[in-house]
Formats: sequence, C-alpha cells, structure tokens
Amino acid sequence: MLESRAFDPAFLRRLDGLVLGVQRARTARSGRRTLGRVQGLGIEPENFREYNEGDDLRFLDWNTYARLDELTIRTFRAERQVEVTVAIDASASMGVPRGDDKLGLAMALGASLAYVAMASNEAVRLVAFAARRSGLELDATPFRSRREMYPALRPFVERIRCGGETRLAEAVGRLLLERRGRGIIVLVTDLLVAAGEYEEALDRLLAARHEVKLVHVLGHSETSGEYPPGNYLIRDSETGVTSEVILGPRAAEACRRRADHLSAQAEAFCRARGVVYARAFGAANLDEIAMREFPRLGIVR
Amino acid sequence: MGLLDPLNLIFLASLAVLVAIYLRARARPTLEVSSLILFDEVAAPIASSRVLRTDALFWLEAAALAALGLAMAGLYIKTAAPLARQTHRAMIFDLGAGMGALSGSGTRFDLARRDALAILDSARPGESFTVIGYALEADQRLPPTSKINRVRAAVNNLAPSALPARAAALGAALVRARGATQIDLFVDRPPPPAALASLPAGATLAIHQVGAPADNLAIVSLEPGTVGAERGRCVVRNFSDRAALCELEIDDDSRPLFHDTVVLEPHGQAVIPFGPLDHGGPVQARILTPDALAADNIRYAYAPPPRAEKALVLSPDPDVRDDVAHVLLAVNPNLIVTTADPSSFAPKTSDLYRLAVFHDAYDPGVAAHARLIIFPQPWLERRAPPAHQFDVVGSLVQSEMQERTDGVALAQPVHLGPTRVLALPSWMEIEARGANGATGAPFPMTAMGYDASGAVGVVAFDIGDHLLLDPDRLEALVATVDLIKRLIAPQRLQVVETGASVGVPVSGPARIVAPDRSVTPATADDAGRVRFEPALAGEYRVESEAQTAEVYANYFDAAESDLSTDTAPSSGRRPLEIIEPPSHSTGGGLEPLGLILTVLALLALVGESVLLGRKALRWGLRDA
Repeated sequence: MLESRAFDPAFLRRLDGLVLGVQRARTARSGRRTLGRVQGLGIEPENFREYNEGDDLRFLDWNTYARLDELTIRTFRAERQVEVTVAIDASASMGVPRGDDKLGLAMALGASLAYVAMASNEAVRLVAFAARRSGLELDATPFRSRREMYPALRPFVERIRCGGETRLAEAVGRLLLERRGRGIIVLVTDLLVAAGEYEEALDRLLAARHEVKLVHVLGHSETSGEYPPGNYLIRDSETGVTSEVILGPRAAEACRRRADHLSAQAEAFCRARGVVYARAFGAANLDEIAMREFPRLGIVR
Repeated sequence: MGLLDPLNLIFLASLAVLVAIYLRARARPTLEVSSLILFDEVAAPIASSRVLRTDALFWLEAAALAALGLAMAGLYIKTAAPLARQTHRAMIFDLGAGMGALSGSGTRFDLARRDALAILDSARPGESFTVIGYALEADQRLPPTSKINRVRAAVNNLAPSALPARAAALGAALVRARGATQIDLFVDRPPPPAALASLPAGATLAIHQVGAPADNLAIVSLEPGTVGAERGRCVVRNFSDRAALCELEIDDDSRPLFHDTVVLEPHGQAVIPFGPLDHGGPVQARILTPDALAADNIRYAYAPPPRAEKALVLSPDPDVRDDVAHVLLAVNPNLIVTTADPSSFAPKTSDLYRLAVFHDAYDPGVAAHARLIIFPQPWLERRAPPAHQFDVVGSLVQSEMQERTDGVALAQPVHLGPTRVLALPSWMEIEARGANGATGAPFPMTAMGYDASGAVGVVAFDIGDHLLLDPDRLEALVATVDLIKRLIAPQRLQVVETGASVGVPVSGPARIVAPDRSVTPATADDAGRVRFEPALAGEYRVESEAQTAEVYANYFDAAESDLSTDTAPSSGRRPLEIIEPPSHSTGGGLEPLGLILTVLALLALVGESVLLGRKALRWGLRDA
C-alpha cells in the first residue's frame, strides 16, 4: 500500500532537507529553530532577577551569589515547539475507488509532513477521523517531537481503515475542544462533504487562530472520470444513496468538470482566508506532490 | 415455408435468456463511488431500467440466436417444383370384383370412369397422365403421356375383374405412380392405411370413392359329392343387412339337377345339399336372384364320371401302399387301385393307369395318364435315368411345410420327417414350400406340371409311418389330396379360381375365349401348353386346331363380395378426399435453410465482434 512509502528510507532521505512551513511568526526565530518569547526551559540566557520564594533553586546563579552575596535567578529564553496536528480524513469516501488508494496517499502525505516537522523537533501528531455508527471517532497518536520517534507512527498509519462519514466540521469541533495552544493543523481530506461543511470547519480552525493547511486528496478516476462505460447504479460510499447514471465519454467530461469545480471552489475559499491549499490528485503523484508541490505552496520549505 | 423439426424451436428460448441478460444489465450493475457529488452533472438514463434498451449489439446477438434456433428447427422453404412434375398425374383404378357391382344405372366402375373422364376433359395443356389398374397385382395400362385421347381410350378399355383387390397391389400401384405430382385413386371402399404408406414423396393423393351400399348373395363353395353315391353341398351367403331370398339352380353336366329358393338371414350362410349326381362331369351352381355382384353368383365344380379307372401304387413300404390306396379311393371311389412292391412289380404294356403313384421307387416304365412321385429316390445307377426322374440335390432328416399354393404361410408349420430336396424342371409349378428345420432354407414340398406324357406331380416328403393319417399333420394330407385331385382331373376340363395360373395343352395356334366372349390369341410354350390367368368368373374355352379345352373359373372373396359396408353413401360418390404428401419428405420441393441461417448467425457474430473491438479500443480494456 502507498502509506508504506512514507517509511521508505529512500523516500525519507529526500525529505531530510525540508522543514515545515510556518506562516505566523509568533515566536522568534534563531537559525532554524523556532524560539518562544516566554521564559522557560531553555539553554539561551535571557535575564537575571532577584530570587523570590518559590523559584526553582536550579536556576540560582551561584556564581553571582558567591561574588555579590545576592540570590539571583537566571532566566532563560524558553525554546517553544509548534504543535502540528495532521488530521487525516478516514471516512469511507477515502477508500473508493479502490484502485485510487486515496487513503494510502493521504497517510503517506500526512506522515511525510510529520517526518518533516519532527526533524525540526516540532511536536507532531497524526489524527484520523471518521464518523462511525457509534459516533465520531478521533484516532490520534501522541505528540512526537523527535525524528527518532518517527517510526513509532508506522503502526498507526498502517492500522487506519476507511469507513463511515466524513463529518469534517464535527471532527474539527472535537479537536478544538482539546483547547490546545495554537498550532498548525494540516487537514488531509477529499472534501467530499456536505455543502458548506468544509468551509465551516476551516473557519472554526481559523477562528481558533490555528495555522491551517489543506491537502485536497482525490483519486485518478475521480478527477478523470474514467469509469467502465455502461449503465450503472452508483452508490455513495458514505451515505448509501444511489443514483442511475450512464457512464461514458460525456459522463467522464462531466466528472472532470465537477472535480475541477470542487477544487477551484476550495482553492478560492482557502486563498481568501490565507489557508494554504494543495491538490493531491492521484496516488501515482506522491513524489511529485511531496517533493515539488508542497515546497512550491510553502507547506514545507 | 415450414419446419422439419418444430420441437427444436425450444432453442429460441435463448432469446429470452438474451433479453433477461440485457434487462439484468439494464437493471444496473452497482458501482460504488466516493460521493455522488462528483456525478452531479452526469446524465441519468432516459429510459426506465425496466424497459429493455436495445442497441446494435443486442440486435446482432438476437439475430444470431434466432438464426441458429431456426436452423436447429429445420426451417425450409418450398421451392417451385419442376414443370414436368407439376403437370403429371396418375390415375389408379381398383379393378377388383367390387368395382363391378351395380350402382344405379351402371356399375361402380362406370362411376369411376366417368370421374376420370371428367378429369381428362378439364386437363390443362401439356398435362400428362398415366393409367394404372390393380386387383391381385398392379398393372400399368398406359405409360405417361400427354395425349389425352390415348389416356381416354385406356380408361375406356379398363374393366373390373372377378378378382379381389389386394392392399399389396395398391401399394405397388402407388409405387408405379412415382414421379406423379397428383394421384387420382378410384376405389369403391377406403384404401387400407398401410397401403398408402407407399405414397410417393411430393405427390398429392386424391381418393375418388364411388358406389353405394348394395345387397349381395354369393356362392361360397360347391362340393359335387360322388356320382351316384354321395350328395353334394353348396354353401351360399347373404352379405346384406336384411334377410334375403336366394333362388339357387344346380346343373349336372348341363342337366338340371336342383332348383330351390331358400331364405338367408342377414349376413347369414346356408349349406344346401343336393344330389347325388347322376352323370358327373362339370357341375354348375347359379344364384338366380338378382343382386349387385354377378361374379360370385356362379360356381363350377368337377365330378368325376362314374366309370372305373385303374390306379397303381408302388412302394416298398406296405403301410404306405395301404395309406395311399385309401386316400385314392377317398378322392375317387371309382378307382381300381393296385398296390405293389417295386422289387416284385413288372409293368405290363397293356395296362394303362389313370394315375400311377411311386413312393420311394423308380418309375419302371408304367403307362399312365398321370404320375405322382412321392419321396423320390436319388438316381444312383450308371445307366441313364428313366423318365420323370427328378434331380435329388439333398436329403433332410426333418423338415417343415410352411407355405401352400396360394402363397399364404400356414398358421403353424407342419413338422415332417425325411424329405428330399429336389431340383424341379421349369415346367412344374410349386404347390407347397417347406424349409429346412435347421437352416430355414426354402425348397419345394409339392409341385405339379404337365409334360408330353401327361400330368406329373411330386411330393418331396416321406409319407411313411402313416404320416397321411396323422391328425397333427393334416396339412400334409390336404396337400397330397389336392395334388391327387388335380392329377386325376381331365386336362381339358379344369375348374380353377380366378387369378390362378392355368396351363392347357394345345396343338398349333390357339385362342382363348373369355366368359365375356372376348377372344385372345395364344401361343403354346415349350411344353405345348397355353398358360393364362382367368380374371373373369365363368367358362373359358381354349380352342386349338385339334381340340378344345374348357376352364371354369370361380370367384369368391368374402371381403370383396361384401358390398354393404365401407362404401360411399347412396349418392354413389363421397366427397373427394385429399391426402397431402408427407411433410417430412425430402423431395425436391423442400429447400432446407440451415446453411443460410448458419451463415447469417456467423455474420452477426462477426459484426458483434467488430463492435466490441471498437468499444475496447475506445475505452481501453483495463476497466472492462
């Protein structure tokens, strides 16, 4: 399956030179590191202040005490991490058409972004969401911030299966309920949701002041409309709703037109809100998307 | 157009399967897609899924299946028959005795002839006819010709005979009509279905049944008895559905002997005794009561005159000599029978015997008018064989008598003892046939003929051990008695059944005068005999330069003489019955279309393959 490519050493070597693109400079940058403006644990001294009761004795500047006989606390500039959440759509629509392996593409891209982020010691987690019968399921990994921990994501990546409805807005709502700090949220989805749903989801993420990146995944058949010609009853993989269609050249053209329209609509929406929008159409284009399209769009640098 | 095997139309049910397949295909194979959103702009089918949507592929497949189904059912067309067959007709006439029965102002045959002449009057130009008559046998009276006058003359020359019409003869007549497109059969009763099995392929049979039911009286048999000693018997039968008076007259050698009228119950039979005869010679019985059929109203018999004649029996077996003597005296009590052992018998030139019987013995040179040789000895001497010595080609320990003179197989074969297998001369006629008990090979059992010295009869089986008196083997006695009767009957006065082969000795040119006074010239064969088969009942005269012989022909056939049933209504004619030729005929009129249909099916399949190929090229095969 395609998701295993994300753990291919050769593939990862090509990602080694990339870092995650971050648009908002809420932290100072030092070299390639992202520095927070708050005091805290760090290695770069920031200031000195008088000792107050309760301060951590580990930060006493013993040299100053010996020389001046004053208890002085040395403060450091805290090294802040950006929390990166890669939310992957694991609904049923990501599993069809089977030959397109949309979920595999989504997992490979999400894991690739996680790898890039972990290379910068960013705290990264993968989240798969889909609405099952029991309700919306959010399957998430713990935050990992070291590249050495990247292989620990593999069981999660290979375990996720498609099923259920997308319910993108509800999934975003669940993420926001965690009330974590502002960070980067990468949504990997086919956007085959009810009208206005992905717009709502993106707006809620933006309202929570997250930096949002949208990776729009579609299969080759969906974008080209190449289905076996004939008279078919098509069934929506998520809702089960059916419809009779005649597949053929005209239908292919209509499908292409529809996919293009959806993509253009999403891109326009994202552009208007400063959201990075990336097309990931066709599993065969994994390398092209990860190595060229993502850097071009600034998702990675 | 028709079907040779309509049951195979069941293969057309494959069309229903095809429609079901298309309906099933039309009834949507389900394709799961990620979301219907992507198909918002895809057109929905115009027609409902329950309506068969036909395309070129469907029609090509339907055409292929239909063509193959019709080919399996044997679709054929009727091609135009050749011109000659269209215009050739055969007229087959029943010339049996029944056709001579009175019907209205004429006979049944007159009605048939009238119908036939009407057909000839309406014949189209170029139409050819053949004329065939049948009774005991089929006889083509006129070969195919388009000369209507000749056909008309041939029809006018036909006349019913005093013979029964046999079904086998009708079958043979139908066979002879092969090549005709229509056969007109003129009969007075429905033909047996078995005979119509010989109807030629492609010919239409039109049955013209003529004649109304009629009453008929017939003389069944006439037994003259023994002159001056035993009364004779005459059996008469009434074929009517009602009681009838039967006025019967019997003459003894042209002298009135009996005249009486009896009442016969419906379909009844009476035995009328008369005599005994005073003179002997030809005895004639006549029914004077008018009825429909005259041929069975007269019957002849021969009563040997009461003069003493000598007979000789030679046999090494005293029991055989005794048995044969008794049989001879039973046949003719006026015979003076002499028996002797051949080893001690010396013939005298002064003795002339009416009949000499040789059992298991050579003819020592006896002077006799007739000879009967029983169980002939093979000639083993070096000197030349005597006259009337038969070639013995084999001997059997046991044999079976299977067939009598009339050609009808016996109900049960009669098991006989030792038998000689003889090679008979050509002038002898076989009266009874037997078969080897082991191999079943047929050979003559009894035979009779005439040579220059007179009548000669032969019995191939041994009559020792009182065979002639054995009630279980009565047929052997009957065959022997029949042979003796014919041997001692005068050659110049014969009583036969109509249709039997008659041989009469003549000297020089001869002519045959039939009962209807018609005269036929005749020539003698190598044995100096004129042979003919009397077809009319009554007295035939065979006249030659030096002598005249009389042949009395009797006719009676219970089926043919019964005019009360199986006949047309009182109008005299039944509606024309048409029997079409069998539909399974493979005659030239039918042209099976199997090959053409198969070619059409192949073309349809090729067309379908082309369409599929084009679609495959257009869409690629990976998703198919």
